[in-house]
Amino acid sequence: MDRDRRVERLLPLRPVEFQILLSLAGGERHGYGIIQDAEERGESVDVGTLYRALARMLDQGLIASAGLQKEPETGNERRNYYRMTDFGKRVAKAEARRLEALTRAARSGGLLERPTR
Amino acid sequence: MKGERLLRLSERWFGLLLRLYPADFREEMGDSLVQTYVDRCRHTLDCSRFPLVSMIGVWWNAMGETLHNGPAERFRPAAGWRRNGNWGTDMGRVLRRLARAPLFVIAVVATLTIGLGGFAVVYTAVDKILLEPMPYRNPEDLYFVWRDYRAYMDQARGWLSGPDVAELQKAGGVIEDVAGMQLAGPTLSATRDGDPQQIHLMLLSPNLFSLVGVQPVLGRNFRLDETGSKRPSIVILSDTLWKRLGSDPSIVGSQVWLSGSPYTVIGVMPTGFRFLMHSSVGPPQEADVYAPFRFDLATQPANSQSFAAIVRARRGASVELVQAAVSAVGRFIDERDNNRRGLKLYPVNLQSDLVKDVRPALLALSLAGIVLVLALTVNFASLLLARAAEREKEVAVSRALGANMIAIVRAIVIEGAALGLLGGIGGTVAGLWGARLLVALAPLDLPRRETIGLDWKVGVVVIGAGVFVGIVAALIPALWAARLSLDSLIAAASVRGAGHAGRMRRGIVIAQVALSLMMLSAGGLVVRSFETLLRADPGFRPDGVLTSAVSVGPRLFPKSIDALTFQDRVESALAALPGVTQVSAASSLPLSASAEETDILIPGAPGNTGDRHHDAPIVDVLTARPGYVNTMGIRLVAGRDFEKSARQDLMEALIDQYLAQRFFPAGNPIGSKLVLHGLALTIVGVVQQARLYTLYQDGRPQVFVRPFEGYPYANNFVVRTDKPPDPLMAEIRGEIHKLDPRIPVSPVRTMNDIVTDSIRQQRISAVLIAGFALGGLLLLLMGLFGLISGSVSRRRGELAVRLALGATHGRVIQLVVWEGARLLALGFLLGLPAIFFASQVIRGILIGVSPFDPYTLASVGIAFVALTLTACYLAARRVTSIAPERLLRDSG
Repeated sequence: MDRDRRVERLLPLRPVEFQILLSLAGGERHGYGIIQDAEERGESVDVGTLYRALARMLDQGLIASAGLQKEPETGNERRNYYRMTDFGKRVAKAEARRLEALTRAARSGGLLERPTR
Repeated sequence: MKGERLLRLSERWFGLLLRLYPADFREEMGDSLVQTYVDRCRHTLDCSRFPLVSMIGVWWNAMGETLHNGPAERFRPAAGWRRNGNWGTDMGRVLRRLARAPLFVIAVVATLTIGLGGFAVVYTAVDKILLEPMPYRNPEDLYFVWRDYRAYMDQARGWLSGPDVAELQKAGGVIEDVAGMQLAGPTLSATRDGDPQQIHLMLLSPNLFSLVGVQPVLGRNFRLDETGSKRPSIVILSDTLWKRLGSDPSIVGSQVWLSGSPYTVIGVMPTGFRFLMHSSVGPPQEADVYAPFRFDLATQPANSQSFAAIVRARRGASVELVQAAVSAVGRFIDERDNNRRGLKLYPVNLQSDLVKDVRPALLALSLAGIVLVLALTVNFASLLLARAAEREKEVAVSRALGANMIAIVRAIVIEGAALGLLGGIGGTVAGLWGARLLVALAPLDLPRRETIGLDWKVGVVVIGAGVFVGIVAALIPALWAARLSLDSLIAAASVRGAGHAGRMRRGIVIAQVALSLMMLSAGGLVVRSFETLLRADPGFRPDGVLTSAVSVGPRLFPKSIDALTFQDRVESALAALPGVTQVSAASSLPLSASAEETDILIPGAPGNTGDRHHDAPIVDVLTARPGYVNTMGIRLVAGRDFEKSARQDLMEALIDQYLAQRFFPAGNPIGSKLVLHGLALTIVGVVQQARLYTLYQDGRPQVFVRPFEGYPYANNFVVRTDKPPDPLMAEIRGEIHKLDPRIPVSPVRTMNDIVTDSIRQQRISAVLIAGFALGGLLLLLMGLFGLISGSVSRRRGELAVRLALGATHGRVIQLVVWEGARLLALGFLLGLPAIFFASQVIRGILIGVSPFDPYTLASVGIAFVALTLTACYLAARRVTSIAPERLLRDSG
């Protein structure tokens, strides 16, 4: 299918792109929110790298701008929020499946321990 | 607070780092990016005990990654559109904006269509006739050879004799191959059962076609031994004649009848192959049928010149080498056949020879075409500028708000290019029709006329020209927009559009004035020259004269006395037709450019000098039946026409005024003897020359003799009528057909048609150049009107104040018109050298008019000033049609 091909053409995603989509999967975020999410996951993202990725993903239609919003916690300054598009969600899912398959392969190759139940 | 200060400091640092990113990225992402850094700083501050140290860490980190990301974004932009520029988006925006202004688009595209259509036609003609190589193998190695008599006679270009051609064929060296040819005057012929048709037969050396490198498409070429009197009669047909005979492929091997005897068709030449042979004077001639010589060139009389020779030089031989080889043959001929009188032979490249007569006209047309495109560009630029000026405020504000200057310029250029593209497509389509019109208008003898037609190459050039015009025109408003700033806008706020746009528009009008003047003066001169041509006295009166050729060749009338008798019967039959006042006949008609060239003597005449060259001039000998002088309307200067019936004891001849002046500067030539081909004739009259070659120039001196036994070829019957000629046309053919249905009769033409045909080329030049000039003038008037009325609306506040303070309407109009007049004056100054230049270019096509004809230039100038000032006045009048109170209120 045409749209599946569009998804596959974007795979594999760069780490920063997957981080962004992971973060937006939980709702709309602004730039620093995404960085904080990534840091919680134990990854670090450079600001410049992040915004170059955001610009690229906006252009590819993976994410969209959600407009200027006030930060709920501080409530003072307005920031540019981003959200994931349907297309972005499908790409993120496809990337997750791809990573899952890799993980399975790593496990059967003995690189990874079996998950503890 | 220390934290706040650090944050502000951070913000400035990040703003500085941001400079490493490209502008469009900064525009889109910069604020958020800085904000995010600041968020990180704030976060770090909140959790750190040593704010300054941790802050420096963040700054250091930020610098490190920006040093990588900024240049990376410049070289490998994240978003696709940035990689390719913003063309897609801009294009969409521009097209939407154009779609909202359909009238503007229509006006621009229509102007461009007409202008570029004209350009397409001119370009096609120039490309096909002057630039494209001839359809022969290595055409640059082909040369015509002519005789140059200038050492002792005023003739730079003459036919060769048979022995000349034969000697060239023997020359060798760089001369690889030589073919001779001879156009056998208009021959009348027919297929056996068809209606007799008039065709032109070309006799040639059998190697001619292989020499030029073209083979028949049907049948075969001549074999080299198929020449001479004992060989069977064979012909190759031209494609045109083959089509006239019904396009039957089985025609090869069948017989056609030429002047009453059968010839076997052995081949048909390809479409578009029209081997043109130059006549030594007058327009090039072409043939319908090709047949090999039935005689040996070397045995032809050395003093009879009626051949042309075409030479193929060895591949790569220089023109100088060919010249040397041909001159060597010329010296030999001069010595052997010409008593060393200084005769020369010289080669001329085929293509340049063929197009030499039309070259000046085409060059003039190219110039007109280029100037037209320039005028179009300038006009287009002013339209785009006006359009851009309407958005002046928008542009200035968005520039002040930091909009990308390049994007604004790009949008204007895209707009110009898009319109130019549309105009180019329109121009190509218009050119398609225009080229057809050109072919229809073109002289029948225009070289390579059949190749004129638009092809994809011309389409590409014209569309390319359209886009080019669009982009160049757009650069002017783009330049303006780029310089536009809020400051200048505010400065000019009280006088709308008085800034750069106004200055540029004035500059444009000045350029338009200069261009338009240049074209108008050229157009005026060309039209005046054409008018002179129409008023030229060609030495005969074409009105009411009909002509038709009636064949009386030796095969139809083996005894020439029978031919003469038949011609008498034709004459009486035609004379009996109602409406016919006079009937006669001649061997060749005025403007037909065909006559027998030979030298004559007038022994005993006072004008003889004893110098053989002077006393034996080459003249055109025409055979005419009695009454021809009157029927054709030729002026009899002295003496009388031929007597009604021939006398055995008196062989009559008429001479023209040139011979009379040369040999009888003071005395009376009537009664003197004239020696022609060894026969002594008696001069019975002097006539004014009836021009044989062109309408505007006398040719060689002429001698008329009457048909006598053995010399009965006055085939062209002329009929003078006082009725409308059309109904007579059919009757003339019918009448002759009744006398003898075997006799081929050419279609009847009026002499006026022949005259009109002879000046088709001049007519085209006049129509095109004058048309271009008027088009340019129209563009200028529109531009001027727009400028003045725009200026009126800009200055209406000021003007209203003037009116309110007591200035009269006349005074205010004067003020506004003065603004236009100043531009006109400047344009005039610029235009003067342009006029000089244009006159130089068109000099070659002007007939009877000096390129600086004061009468023409003055009338053009006066008409130009009157028209342009009227345009200014009409535009300026708008202001006074409104009362000052209302104007003041409006502009308040």
